[in-house]
Amino acid sequence: MQPLTDLANKVFTAYYLSEHALTLEFGHEISESLLQKITSFNFLINQKPFTGFRTSVPAYGTISVFYDPIKVIQADDLQGIDCYEKVFNYLYQLTPDSDTQPNTPNNLITIPTCYGGVYGEDLDEVADLNNLSTDEVINLHSAAIYKVYMIGFVPGFAYLGGMSAQLATPRKPTPRKIIPAGSVGIAGMQTGIYPLATPGGWQLIGRTPLTLFDATRERPALLKAGDQVVFKPIDHHQFENYRH
Amino acid sequence: MMRIRIIKPGILSTIQDLGRNNYLSQAVPVSGAMDTLSARIANMAIGNNDNAAVIEFTYADAEFMTETDTLIAYAGDGAILQVGDLVIPAEKPVFIPAYTSVQLVNNPAGSRTYMAIGGGFDVPEVLGSRSTFITAKLGGFEGRNLQAGDTLSSAETLTSTTANIFYRLKGETITYPAWSIAHRMFMPADTKRIRVVPAHEFSWFHGLAIVNFLSEPYTLSMNSNRMGYHLDGEPITRIIKNELLSTAVTPGTIQVTGNGSMVLLMADCQTTGGYPRIAQVAAVDLPLCGQLKPGDTIYFEDISHQNAEMLYIEREHELQQLREAIQQKYL
Repeated sequence: MQPLTDLANKVFTAYYLSEHALTLEFGHEISESLLQKITSFNFLINQKPFTGFRTSVPAYGTISVFYDPIKVIQADDLQGIDCYEKVFNYLYQLTPDSDTQPNTPNNLITIPTCYGGVYGEDLDEVADLNNLSTDEVINLHSAAIYKVYMIGFVPGFAYLGGMSAQLATPRKPTPRKIIPAGSVGIAGMQTGIYPLATPGGWQLIGRTPLTLFDATRERPALLKAGDQVVFKPIDHHQFENYRH
Repeated sequence: MMRIRIIKPGILSTIQDLGRNNYLSQAVPVSGAMDTLSARIANMAIGNNDNAAVIEFTYADAEFMTETDTLIAYAGDGAILQVGDLVIPAEKPVFIPAYTSVQLVNNPAGSRTYMAIGGGFDVPEVLGSRSTFITAKLGGFEGRNLQAGDTLSSAETLTSTTANIFYRLKGETITYPAWSIAHRMFMPADTKRIRVVPAHEFSWFHGLAIVNFLSEPYTLSMNSNRMGYHLDGEPITRIIKNELLSTAVTPGTIQVTGNGSMVLLMADCQTTGGYPRIAQVAAVDLPLCGQLKPGDTIYFEDISHQNAEMLYIEREHELQQLREAIQQKYL
């Protein structure tokens, strides 16, 4: 780990993720200013890729940068004794300029959601753990305007920031083996939607009939980092009708 | 063009290549062969590109029939290929005449077998790869595992090496050369000792838990699949009990869940995760993990990240030399 500070609004430490990637760590909280910093720096990396760069994965407090180690080790323009150092040194000297400022779109996407019952089996538990009624959980969850902080976990899964602290609930101690597609969940201070039927450890409070990921769409994931999201409560009739 | 038909699909047979690396930011997993080394060796043996699509068979009990004269090679420890009583040797090119039925017979040494065909299997590229990711029904053969009756063709174009191997072996009967690839040369002597690099949250765990992690055996539970392996053994207890903010994980990452058990993430794993990570399996040893099966016991041994990277680069260098040697042989 190499602690670093930089005057140009670029403050990160870095750590080794694998032979193919390193992670830049910008902070440890969920905040819009951190999202802004990460979005800008991620844009910069993609505008000015190094030899061997494959892709980058922005998250709440981090950007992981994936590369081809053979191309990196052979790159004469990258300075360092191994791939990790070569990539790190390159990223450290990267500085934003006027050409590399992202234009941040401000889409507002409404997610119709049926809360509780078979659609959200942990609604009662989330209410109990937070000393709230189930209606209060639904009201708090659907009143907020969320921001998409990252896409991760499984295709199209959006991690949303902006949830009321009153709803914060720890993950399940043991992940469920399968969670239905469209499930809306809570984990710690995070809320999000499972796009596909997968295993997962989040507390489930509801489900949406929308398709969050479709490989045949031009952009397969419905949501992207920077989008705004609101949940609109629907009843189970509306949920079932949505699919027809 | 070469063509085969699946007679019996076996437990889980899918089309895989070396994975889908460019959609990680939309959280599309890498997928690809669980044992990339065996998949690459099967391809190399017949002069294909390393990334050509192969079939990943899980265990044995599968069967296919050639519908044309076919050039194949296979590698990996899940099964042995046989035609009747005739054992087809692994890790070398094999010519199989049209209308031959090939069975996969149990090999207790491992779990997965990779079969390459001259030119690679011709399935559409989805998001930059031919790998099957069943959870999202994308890639491979119609986004699913292979079923009886599926007909799989090879690509029209062959590399010059593949074409030369094919025309030299072509005949009336099953034919193969005397040489084969010394697959074991690329693997450590003790294939159950997995080298790992300490991960970012390594210091979140109790000292004794770390000692256990690096000395005690861990066993793959029944709850193990292409996404990851749940490991049974001494629980890993934590000193630092913070909730981690989700961040990128990658095949080979070992996470510790809330109850202190470990999950070794594999090819189809999620792109990000929120459980703290104790270690990252060295890339050169990840193919060994691809051959594990429930009930198998492994040990972990720590190495530095510099060492892991060096081992990776050395292996790639050796594989490159092997590729060139095969090309030289079939100029």
